[in-house]
Amino acid sequence: MSIVKKENSLSKWYLPGILKGLGITFRNLIKNLTSRDEMLTLNYPEEKYEYGPRFKGNHVLTVKKDGSLRCTACMLCATNCPADCITIVAAEHDDPSVEKYPINYEIDILRCVFCGFCEEACPVDAIRMGPEWQVPGVNGASFINNISELAYRPSLGGGIKTVLDDEERIKGGI
Amino acid sequence: MPKCTVNGIEVEVKDGATVIEAFMKTNESIAHYCWHPGLSVAGVCRMCMVEIEGNPRLQIACNTPVQDGMVVYNNSEKVKEAVEWTLKFHLINHPLDCPICDQAGECGLQEYYMSHGSYDSEMAERKVKKHKVVDLGEKVVLDTERCILCSRCVRFTDEVTKTNELGIFNRGDRSEIGTFENRPLNNKYSLNTVDICPVGALTSKDFRFRQRVWFLKSFETICQGCSAGCNVQAYYNENGFYRVKPVPNEEVNGHWMCDEGRDVYKFANKEHRLVSGIKKEDSGLSHMAPGAAAVQLREDLSDTKKAALVLTGQYTTEEYLKFVDSFTKNYGNEVYHWINNPKTFDDFDGILLRGDKNPNTVGLLRVLEGKGIKSSWADLEEKLNSGQIEHLVVAGPENLAVFPDLEEKVTLFGQAQKLTVLTPVKSKFYESADYQIPMKSFMEKDGTFVNHKGIEQKLGRGPIVVSQALTLLDLSMILDGSDFISVNSASMGGSL
Ligand code: SF4
Ligand code: SF4
Ligand code: SF4
Ligand code: SF4
Ligand code: FES
Repeated sequence: MSIVKKENSLSKWYLPGILKGLGITFRNLIKNLTSRDEMLTLNYPEEKYEYGPRFKGNHVLTVKKDGSLRCTACMLCATNCPADCITIVAAEHDDPSVEKYPINYEIDILRCVFCGFCEEACPVDAIRMGPEWQVPGVNGASFINNISELAYRPSLGGGIKTVLDDEERIKGGI
Repeated sequence: MPKCTVNGIEVEVKDGATVIEAFMKTNESIAHYCWHPGLSVAGVCRMCMVEIEGNPRLQIACNTPVQDGMVVYNNSEKVKEAVEWTLKFHLINHPLDCPICDQAGECGLQEYYMSHGSYDSEMAERKVKKHKVVDLGEKVVLDTERCILCSRCVRFTDEVTKTNELGIFNRGDRSEIGTFENRPLNNKYSLNTVDICPVGALTSKDFRFRQRVWFLKSFETICQGCSAGCNVQAYYNENGFYRVKPVPNEEVNGHWMCDEGRDVYKFANKEHRLVSGIKKEDSGLSHMAPGAAAVQLREDLSDTKKAALVLTGQYTTEEYLKFVDSFTKNYGNEVYHWINNPKTFDDFDGILLRGDKNPNTVGLLRVLEGKGIKSSWADLEEKLNSGQIEHLVVAGPENLAVFPDLEEKVTLFGQAQKLTVLTPVKSKFYESADYQIPMKSFMEKDGTFVNHKGIEQKLGRGPIVVSQALTLLDLSMILDGSDFISVNSASMGGSL
C-alpha cells in the first residue's frame, strides 16, 4: 500500500481533518435522507440486486426434452475446471444412441471460483451458469451439489431444456 | 544393405525394408494408420504418402521397398496436400463422437487432424449411419462409424492369433468390420485389437468410460501374469490403477500381450489389498502396523526350533536373495517352492501365454540353486502331516486368481503349529493364520523378474498404494534384528 503524504501546515493539525471528514458524512446523510432513490446501498436481504442476464451464478445441468440429463459425461468441464471441483462418474447407457452418461456429477461449490470455464468447455450445452447466487447451507456437505441439485432443484421447475435433442440431431444427420 | 535419403537424412536399412521403416529409423514423422510393425502390409489407408525423386506420382511408404540411392521426402507441399485430402476422405462419414469416445486423447484421427488437417469440412452430404455399440465378444465393443477400415484388427486375428473372427463386410462406404454368426471375438489376445485400432472403433469393456486417458499417468514395468514376462505400460491416477498395455520388445513379447495379463493391475488396487498387519490372539484378531507385526513375528520366531519357509514365484529376485539368506541364517535350511499348477506348469499356447503363472519362477529357482537348497514339496507335506514344523512362513501369491489350490494349500499349511502369511492381497482363507503381514505388490517396488527364457527384466516402480506394506527386503532386515524399515520402499515415489 502506498501512502501519499501531503506536507502542508494544515495537515499538522488534528481537528481540521476530522471536521472535513464529518462534513462529508453529514452531506451524504442528508442527501440519502432526502433523495432515497439515488442511494447506492441495498437493504439486503429484503432488497436484492438484479444482475445482468449473463451473470455467472450457480450451475445448472440442462435436460433433454424427455427430462433426462443432457450431459454425456465427456469430462471436458472437469478437465477445464481450474479449481478441480467437478467429479463425474460415467457409465454405459442402455440406449446405444446415448451410449455414455453420468451416474454421478458433483460440483464442490465452495471450491468453485465461478469462472465459467466449465460452461465454455461443454460441447453439448449441458452445463450453464444460472442467475442464482445465494447458497446458504448449514454444513460443508451441503455445498457439494449433485445431479438432483444441479439439474432438478425446485427453483428450476423441472429442469432447463436444451434446444437440440438427440432425436433431432440424428434425424438431421449430424 | 540399401541406403536411402529420408527428408535429407541418409539412412541404411535392412534388405527388403520399406520406405516407412526407413522413416521410423530416422525418427522423421510420417502419418500412417494401416501399417503396423507387427503385422503384414495392407496399404489401404493411403496416409503414408511420400514423394520419391524421379517418380512423378506420390507413393505409399509402407508398401514401397527401399532401393539403393532412393531420395524420399514427405515434407513437400504436394505430400502435405495429399495427406490432408486423404484425412478429409477418412473423416467424411466420421461421427465426431470425441466427447463420448474412449480413444479421445490418444486418437490417430485427432492427432493427424491437428498436424495435417485443420481444415473446415466441405461435406454438404449426409453422413452414412452405421452400427454403434456392437458387442463383439466378452471384452471388446465396436463402433463401426468410427472405424476407418485400416484392417489392422482383421490382420491381427488372421496373422497373430490365426482365429479369423473379424472380417470386413459390405462394400464401399457401407463397409463395416464385424464378426461371423456365432463366432464372437473371444480369443485370449482379443484386447490387442483395441490397442492397435488407431481410432476409437474398438474399445475395451473393462476400461470403457472409467477414465479419460488424459487424466492417467503411466510407467513401464513387467507383467506379473505369467512367466512370459511381457513388457507393459501401467496407467494410474490418484484413485488407483486403470489398465495395462503392451510395450514392444522383440525379444520377449513382440508387440502384444494376452488378455489375462491385462487384469493383473486389479489386485494391486486398494480394495483388494491387505492394509494392516494382523495377529491372531486369544481375544480375536488384532490389527497393527505391518512393521510392528513383523517385529512381533521375529520375536515369535526367535524361540521356535523348527521353522520353515514356503516361497511362491511372485516376488523379485532381489527379495529372494536377501530373504532366503536371512531366513536360512536365522532359522535353518527349510525352504520350499510352492508350484501352483504342476499339471499345466509347462504349457505354452504358441503365442505368449505360459502355463507357469508366476513371473519369476526362474529367478526363484536360480536363488535356491545358488544357496544349495534342494527340497521337495513331498518333504514339506510329510513334515507338516507329522507335526514336525512349528512355525511356517509363507510368502504368498499376489495374483490369487492363478492359485486354484489356495484353499487346499492353506489348509495343509494350517497343520503347522503357527502359520505366517506374507501377502499383498487379502483373502478369507488366510483368516486362520497367526500372522498376516501386508506386502507391496509388483507395481510398487523395484526389482528383477527372470522370465522363462532366463531374460532378466527390471520392474519400473509405480505409485505406492499401501504405504506401510513391506517388501521381503524390509522383512529380512527386521528378521536380522533391525527395527527400522528401509526408506527404499516405504516412503519414496508418489503415493496414491
Ligand atoms: S465455474 Fe470454473 S471453477 Fe466453477 S466448476 Fe466451472 S470451471 Fe470449475
Ligand atoms: S462438458 Fe458438458 S457434457 Fe461434458 S461432462 Fe461436462 S457437462 Fe457433461
Ligand atoms: S475415433 Fe477419434 S476422432 Fe473419432 S470420435 Fe473417437 S476420438 Fe474422436
Ligand atoms: S476397427 Fe479399428 S483396427 Fe479395425 S479396421 Fe476399423 S479402424 Fe482399423
Ligand atoms: S500406412 Fe501406408 S497405406 Fe496405410
